[in-house]
Amino acid sequence: MNILAIETTGAEASVALINENEEVFMEASDQKMNHLQNLMPMVDILLKKRELTINDIAYMAVSEGPGSFTGIRIGVASARALAQALEIDTISVPTLQSFLYHVPDYRGIICPIFDAKRDQVYGGAFQWICEEDAKETVNCVSDRGKDQHSYREVVTGGAYDLPQLLMQLRAALLTESSRTTASEVTFFGDGIMPYKKQIEEWQKESSNDNIRILFAENDCRFQKASSVARLALQLLRDGRVKNYNDLKPVYMRKAEAERRLEEKS
Amino acid sequence: MKNNKLITLGIESSCDETSAAVLLGGREVLSDVIASQIKVHQVFGGVVPEIASRHHLNNINPVIDSALKEAGITLRDVDLIGVTYGPGLVGALLIGLATAKSMAYALKKPLVGVHHIQGHISANYIEHKELEPPFLALVVSGGHTNIVNVSDYNHFEVLGRTRDDAAGEAFDKVARVLGLGYPGGPLIDKAAKEGNPHAVEFKRVFLEKDSLDFSFSGIKTGVLNYLNTQKLKGLQANVNDTAASFQLAVMEVITAKTIMAAERMNKDKVVVAGGVAANSLLRQMLKEECDRKGLALYFPSPILCTDNAAMIGCAAYYKYQSGQEDDYYLDAYPNLAL
Repeated sequence: MNILAIETTGAEASVALINENEEVFMEASDQKMNHLQNLMPMVDILLKKRELTINDIAYMAVSEGPGSFTGIRIGVASARALAQALEIDTISVPTLQSFLYHVPDYRGIICPIFDAKRDQVYGGAFQWICEEDAKETVNCVSDRGKDQHSYREVVTGGAYDLPQLLMQLRAALLTESSRTTASEVTFFGDGIMPYKKQIEEWQKESSNDNIRILFAENDCRFQKASSVARLALQLLRDGRVKNYNDLKPVYMRKAEAERRLEEKS
Repeated sequence: MKNNKLITLGIESSCDETSAAVLLGGREVLSDVIASQIKVHQVFGGVVPEIASRHHLNNINPVIDSALKEAGITLRDVDLIGVTYGPGLVGALLIGLATAKSMAYALKKPLVGVHHIQGHISANYIEHKELEPPFLALVVSGGHTNIVNVSDYNHFEVLGRTRDDAAGEAFDKVARVLGLGYPGGPLIDKAAKEGNPHAVEFKRVFLEKDSLDFSFSGIKTGVLNYLNTQKLKGLQANVNDTAASFQLAVMEVITAKTIMAAERMNKDKVVVAGGVAANSLLRQMLKEECDRKGLALYFPSPILCTDNAAMIGCAAYYKYQSGQEDDYYLDAYPNLAL
């Protein structure tokens, strides 16, 4: 059983394979925003390296968004068409949550932020749940046996003004200060570049002195198909598969023209 | 393969129509499914690229399923996949392309990228089974105004093109200022039927002597100026008269240049294609002129004038027959030249 995962929501595209033994193989492009051209050749290289063909794929997984609208559409359109042609089901993988699998042993909070332009970020905050904390699960993928990974949603994914996202993050951390002495938050994503300073200043505010912040290193900062594949396998184990027609992009924002029209009326 | 003929799946998504079609051989259309977004864009007064892209993505797979079902085949029966790769809205094009590339890869079938204009011209092969190149083609739509020398199925020479707005674009803009709505082509055509085409003498823009190029931005301004002048005089311009006069001014230029090109290139056949080819005045004027000059005139039926995938499948078939095929690096080209 192989899942083929597509990640095209960021500047650099990648594809990955995962099998039932949780072995993951990835192929990435270092060309920026050239997903339409590179995607299928990349899939071909990945499969050939593993001595597989496209017919060995049992499920198509795709990073559903948020991210670049165009990038999301290239990924979703490709995943849908591959699934339609191969007569297989699909798995829709939340892009923000996939960052948890960048750091599977991390106990702190992860906070992926993508530059959404117009002074906003697409972002959210998530945390792996330790077994002893499992009872307090707010929102977890799986409530099955303890071998299963589960995580909680500290701040729901969405389009935010950065201060608003940080405020929600602080609020979530305050309510649990009794449980954890110091909170650690690691930021990911292409939103770090434009907002790093602002985040560092926020941390220096008096009420945040027991929040430690870190920024993911460049090699682990951005979207990766290997993490999408790992989350896809988890979603598959939870029975979260979809027909290709039900595989939908998650933009988290309306089209500009639509927004303006609503403002007018 | 069916009856020893190739089965082609055509895919088109260059503007606001999501379409898939199945062809048997080059000219027999087994299905041609078109999901139009006209209603979606009407509230915006024109096509909004981001919204078009979103709808293409939602529509494309069900449209392909319908086309296959209507043709009575499955994807595994398909021998060839043809897809528009330009010109058009890049975000719209890439939905068709990502889909076509993925399917070609999964099915291990050849992939052929098609120029949208070549598709429009090919619509005539579907309509007129006996038609063969060489001929002179006029392609007029919301995005294009081209006079093309078609010497073979796959050889084109653009003799004239618009230097600013496409003819259909001018229709959209004038319809908007006349308060007729969107899309402009059919609305102006309808209003003009009730109006006097000689009520206002709008300037016919022929550019340099012997030029086969077009310019339609001037006449759009002319209409605006006329409306403003009437307003200043305290008069209400007659919408039907204005529409009829505008339409006549545009079609006179298009007809004259098309006939001039056919004579210059020594062609005995004139082939018209694109959305504006559905315009009743253009059809009538070209018919009269071609009859007078002894030229054979070909039009597709109105449904084949709009953006559709059957014409793309047809063009892909003839490209493939001549040995052309694309690899999986095929990209979208919003300004692709013919």
